Amino acid sequence: MLQVCSLTKTFRLARKKRARADQPDPRERGRWFHALDGVDLGVQRGQVLGLLGQNGAGKTTLLRILSSSLKPASGVVLCDGEDLTRHPLEIRKRIGFVSGNTGLYGRLTAREMLRYYGKLHGIAAAALDERIGSLAGRLDMSRFLDQRNETLSSGMRQKVSIARALVHDPEILLFDELTTGLDVAAAESVLKVVTDCREEGRTVLFSTHHMDEVDQLCDGVAILHEGRLCFEGGVDAMRSQTGESFLDKAFLKLIRPKTEETQ
Amino acid sequence: MKAGFRIVFFKEMRDILRDRKTLLLMIVLPIVAVPLLLNLLIGFVMKKEQEARTEVLEYVVFGAEHAPELARAFETDSGFKNVSLGSPDELAGAIRGDRIDFGLVIPEQAADRLSGQEQATIEFHFDNASAGSKVEERVKDVVGDYNEELTAARLAELGVSSSRERRAVLEPVRLEEKGTGNMREVIGDRIGGMVPYFFIAFCFMGVVYPAIHLGAGEKERGTLETLLLAPIPRHQLVIGKFLAVFCGGIIAVLLNLASVGTWLAIKAGQFRGVLGSLIGSIDTLDLVLLALMLIPVAAMFAALLLSVSIFARNSAEASTLISPFGIVLIVPAVLALLPGVELNGFWAWVPVTNVSLAMKELLKGTMDYTMLLAIFASSTVIAGGLLFFCAKWFNRESVLFRV
Repeated sequence: MLQVCSLTKTFRLARKKRARADQPDPRERGRWFHALDGVDLGVQRGQVLGLLGQNGAGKTTLLRILSSSLKPASGVVLCDGEDLTRHPLEIRKRIGFVSGNTGLYGRLTAREMLRYYGKLHGIAAAALDERIGSLAGRLDMSRFLDQRNETLSSGMRQKVSIARALVHDPEILLFDELTTGLDVAAAESVLKVVTDCREEGRTVLFSTHHMDEVDQLCDGVAILHEGRLCFEGGVDAMRSQTGESFLDKAFLKLIRPKTEETQ
Repeated sequence: MKAGFRIVFFKEMRDILRDRKTLLLMIVLPIVAVPLLLNLLIGFVMKKEQEARTEVLEYVVFGAEHAPELARAFETDSGFKNVSLGSPDELAGAIRGDRIDFGLVIPEQAADRLSGQEQATIEFHFDNASAGSKVEERVKDVVGDYNEELTAARLAELGVSSSRERRAVLEPVRLEEKGTGNMREVIGDRIGGMVPYFFIAFCFMGVVYPAIHLGAGEKERGTLETLLLAPIPRHQLVIGKFLAVFCGGIIAVLLNLASVGTWLAIKAGQFRGVLGSLIGSIDTLDLVLLALMLIPVAAMFAALLLSVSIFARNSAEASTLISPFGIVLIVPAVLALLPGVELNGFWAWVPVTNVSLAMKELLKGTMDYTMLLAIFASSTVIAGGLLFFCAKWFNRESVLFRV
C-alpha cells in the first residue's frame, strides 16, 4: 500500500515570480510557494487511483515526490510501511514513472534505451533481454524496437517510455498525463497498459485531465486543488456527492467552492 | 552489477559519438581541418613571400645623373623596372595608387658629396604601411652593395686595402655572441607560447558540445527526470557524465596532436633553417608529454562546463552561459606569452597557465620535470573541486527542476 501523510512541499520564489500585490496567490507565503499543503492520500495494492486537478494544482509535484525526484518539506510517504524519503534508492526499484513530457534518447534505439535503464536497475543481461522481449510483445513494439527513437511517432515513443518504466517490473506505477498529444488509437493502446497493470496487481497513480479515462480506468479518485486534497473517493461517490452524472461537471463542482473560498 | 557510473559513461559515449555535430567538433575538425589549415596558411605565406621576392618592382629615379652608378645598379638588376613620372611631387600619389613601387630622389649635391668623400642622402619613397612588402629590403640590398663598393674604394684610397684591415677599421670591436640558449630554446620561446593556446582551444571545443548535450540537453529532452529515478546515487550519474565529457576533450586533443604530429612528420623535410631544426627536434615523447599536460585541463573544462550546462534550462541557454568561458579560459593560456612569466614555484600552481608554460618549456627542450607534480596536483585539485561542486548541483532541486 502507498500512503501519503501530511505531505507539504514548498518552493522558494524568485523575486520576479512573486504574485503582484493586487492579485494575491493564497499559496504564496512570504518567499515561499506552497505547492502541496498537508496532503493525505492512500492507494491500495492493485488499485488505479485517478489524480485530478487543474493545471498547477500540484499533481506533478506530488508524483515527483512519490517517485523520489523531489523531497517533501514535511510529511511522509510510506510504501508498505517503509519511508520513501529515507530509502530513495530502494524505493526507486519499486516505482516506475512516466509523464506526457518524458523524453527519450533520440540517438539510441528503443532496445538500447531499455537495456540502459535495465542495467541501471541492476538486471542481469540475460534476464534483461528476456524482459525487453516480453515488453516488446506486450506493447506491440517489436517492429520498431531496433529503430532509433528520433524516428518514432508520438505513440511509439510513449510506448517506449512505458516500457522503460516497466523494465524493472515495479510494483507502483506513476503515470502523469500519459495520453497528452496522442491520437485516439495510440491513446487507447497506452491506456490498455494501465488496465493490464491493475490486472497484474500493480498500484497505479494516474494523473489526467480526461474524465472518460477516469471513468474507464480508475477505482478511486483524488482531486487536488491549489495544493490541497479536496476530494478522495470512488467515481460513483464523485457523482453522488455532486449530483452530476458527467464527471467533468462533478469535477468542476468539487473544485469551484474551493475556488470561490479562496477569492 | 556494474558500477552505475560505468553504465552511464558507456551509454553517454555511445550517444555523443552518434551525433554529427559532436563528431565534427571532436573528430573531423582536429583530424582534417588542422592540417588543412596549416597547409593553406603556410602555403599562402610562402607563396606571398616568393612573389614579394621575385616580382619586378617599378620605380622612378629623379636626379639619376647625380649618382649614375647607383642608378645603373638598379637598371641592370632584372628585378627592377625604371618608369617615368612627371615630378617628385607626384611620388606619394603614384605609390598610393600602385602605379610605382618606390621612388628615389637624388639631390644635386649628392655627386659633390660622394666625390668629396662625404655622406650623401638620398630620399627613398615607398609604402611603409604594407605588411609583408619586400620593397624596403630589396632596395636596401642594392644600396648596401653600392655602399660596400664605395667604402672599399674610399678605404683603398686611405691605404686600407685588405679585407682584414677594412674590418679592423669599420668594426674595431666585434661582439661574438655566445648565447646559452640553443636555437631550439630561442625558437621554442618565441612560438612555444602560441602552441598551448592552440591545443587548449581544441580541448575546450571537444568538451563544449558533449557538456551541453549531457547536461542541459537531458533537461531539454525530458530524459533527466527518468534518469534521476534510477536506483544509483546521483554522484555516480555525475561521474559517468563527467567521464564522457572529459573523453570528448581528450579525444579532440589526442586526434589534434596525432594529426599535427603526422603533418609535421610529412612536412618536416620541406622546412629549412631554424624552423626545420625545431620541428626536427620535437620527438614522439614530447608529443606524448604535451598530451599528458592536457589531461588535467580537459578534466577541469569537463567539470566546469558540465556544472554550467546542468544549471541551464536548455541547450540554447547553456551555449549562452558557456560562450564567455571560451574567452575567460583562454586568458590564463595567453598569460604564458607575457615576458617574465616562467614556469616556477608560483606559476606551476596557476591552472591552465601552468600547462601553457610547461608546454612552452617542452618545446624549448628545457622542461623541469619536477614541476609536473605541481601542475598535475593543482589541476587535479581544481578539477576535483569542480566535480564535487557539479555533484552537489545534481542534488539540488532548484538546479535540476529550474523553470
